[in-house]
Amino acid sequence: MAEIRSRSGAPRRGRLPIAGMPGMMPGHLLVYLALTIGALLSMTPFLVMISQSLMTLGETLTRQPWPASPQWVNYAEAWRDADFGRYFRNSVIITATVILGVVTTCTLAGYAFARIRFPGRNLLFTVLLATLMIPGTVTFIPGFLLVRGDIVPWGSWLNTLPALTVPFMSTAFIIFLFRQFFAQIPEELWDAARIDGAGHLRFLTTVVLPMSRAVVTTATLLTFVHAWNEFLWPLLVTTNPTWRPLAVGLANFIDEAGARTHLLMAGSVITIVPVLVLYFFTQRQFTEGIATSGLKG
Amino acid sequence: MSVFDATHRSAPVRVRRRPWGEWLTGYAFVLPATLVIGVFGLFPIVYALYMSVHRWRIRQGAFLGLDQYQRTVGDFGAFGVFLGGVALIGVAHWLWTDAFKGRAVAPMVTRLVAATTLLFAGIAFALGWQAMFAAGDARFLMGLTRTFYYGFLSVPVQIVLALVIASLLFQRLPGRAFYRMLFFLPYVTPTVAGAAVFRAIFSPREERLANTALGWLGIDPQRWLFEIRPVGQLLFGDFLARFGVELTGFWAGPSLALFTIILFGIWTYTGYNAVIFLAGLGNIPKELYEAAEIDGASGPQRFMHVTVPLLAPVTFYLTVLGFIGTFQAFTQLYVMREAGARGSVDTASLVIFDTFYQRSEFGLAAAQSVVLFVIILAMTLLQNRLFGRRALRG
Repeated sequence: MAEIRSRSGAPRRGRLPIAGMPGMMPGHLLVYLALTIGALLSMTPFLVMISQSLMTLGETLTRQPWPASPQWVNYAEAWRDADFGRYFRNSVIITATVILGVVTTCTLAGYAFARIRFPGRNLLFTVLLATLMIPGTVTFIPGFLLVRGDIVPWGSWLNTLPALTVPFMSTAFIIFLFRQFFAQIPEELWDAARIDGAGHLRFLTTVVLPMSRAVVTTATLLTFVHAWNEFLWPLLVTTNPTWRPLAVGLANFIDEAGARTHLLMAGSVITIVPVLVLYFFTQRQFTEGIATSGLKG
Repeated sequence: MSVFDATHRSAPVRVRRRPWGEWLTGYAFVLPATLVIGVFGLFPIVYALYMSVHRWRIRQGAFLGLDQYQRTVGDFGAFGVFLGGVALIGVAHWLWTDAFKGRAVAPMVTRLVAATTLLFAGIAFALGWQAMFAAGDARFLMGLTRTFYYGFLSVPVQIVLALVIASLLFQRLPGRAFYRMLFFLPYVTPTVAGAAVFRAIFSPREERLANTALGWLGIDPQRWLFEIRPVGQLLFGDFLARFGVELTGFWAGPSLALFTIILFGIWTYTGYNAVIFLAGLGNIPKELYEAAEIDGASGPQRFMHVTVPLLAPVTFYLTVLGFIGTFQAFTQLYVMREAGARGSVDTASLVIFDTFYQRSEFGLAAAQSVVLFVIILAMTLLQNRLFGRRALRG
């Protein structure tokens, strides 16, 4: 993309092109103004969240935009009140397990769909891709009976780690992502590896994966956001706090906190911070990964 | 593997000595993923169908046949007419765009035909819906109406706003990466946390942000997530009352409570769509703009005739994704629904959840979920017919 741009996108008459409208807008100021208004609107909920999380209860009931003195103690109080410590630990473990599972199963499957020929390959890939169209609202009811052990006699998984992780350990979208990437790896590398006596698994782990850092990162980030965000399923399969993740814990806390908005906002910040930290450190790769993967869909 | 393979290393067509080994490796590699997706993604569809034809209150009961479907949609004939209406909309749109392109012999005639088809589509749609409503599950069907509001009021807005933002960001101004990051932030925000903040902002209290902002504009404070009156009535009710018209029913729009949640949807996905549009803009060859400029096309003309058509595949992708997303949206609705809104925000997915979770009617909930699935599928196919063929080649 960048190459195409620099080859032919020489600036004309000192104007910067708006998409498809080169030279339409002479003043950048207007563009900045529009972008800033949009960005402010988009940021408002975050600003409200942070400021209210640091207010006293009384301050949240005024129009005051910012606390007189930040009440950091709110965080400690929310953390204690709602057992956020446990939920936080649960969410970390669940998310890490799901990421490990997704990267493992989807790397293998993506590799096979890209580079190994076997009968039924395209059919199977199409069937798996079709699951992307199936809404979660259809699958959750039988899914619930499955993990409760009603359908397959494997006992109830309710309130266990597998119930929260196994159903998410593979998704067609990530398989698709890996397949697209692996298909571009030059055939010569495989030939060379085979001369050295490597099979597919060794080729995958020693040659392919080390050069796939970008796609593995994208898959990890996407999975992280989705697993951390997952709500309906954990709501159903956690009937007690043992393995309850942060999202469900926070939703329960909304009812418990009631009018104590300051604590609720502190709880929200606690839920958001890990995702934000991850996003700030990887945002370039994150957005670009999503953009390119989204386009190929 | 063996020396044998080495001798073949430059052969473009690989003749495998042991295809079985290769096949087995392939199957072994796809096995874990296939198992997970098969058991938790595909099997539930089949099992939902099975459940939907049984009485199933917590435990499996008697075989009911299609009873629960009948309870849900009221009347199969009416449901058929309704889906036929959806299909006719597709036909009409196709006729229309075909005429628009100037491929047809007599554009006026084609347009007339298209308009007539659209009229019939509308009639079929309305009649089918009315008949369904008369006999079907009012809770679920109202839920579907709200799902339509949610999808049709949020997805187009998201896409238009996203295109504007992407066009602005596409100019390589200093700081664009920073802006892009800000716009994308809502998408990565956990939904429950975002919804919790929206509840605080759109609180009925006068001193909260949404009502404060209305105050700046000289508008009375609203009850937002607690307001069951439809937005159409709130906006135009007084005006229309002067003419003795009362705005009710479908055209009065969603309740203000649901509208607030629609705003949340727009807030969440606009930035995501913008980032994808931005990548799409980067893929449009500059030569096309240069050629258009030489041909004397003005800025807006270039935008309409180069940018928009070439972004069609992206727009298609985002529309499909948006509708599938809004039709199964759950978390934000669950978190932002107030008892005070008295079910006026309960979309189809919430109704399904309640049927399952609160009323423990598993079989009925399964039937409802299958109906929702059929509608999502019909809409995806419709969109595919409308834009797909053109878009995917564009």
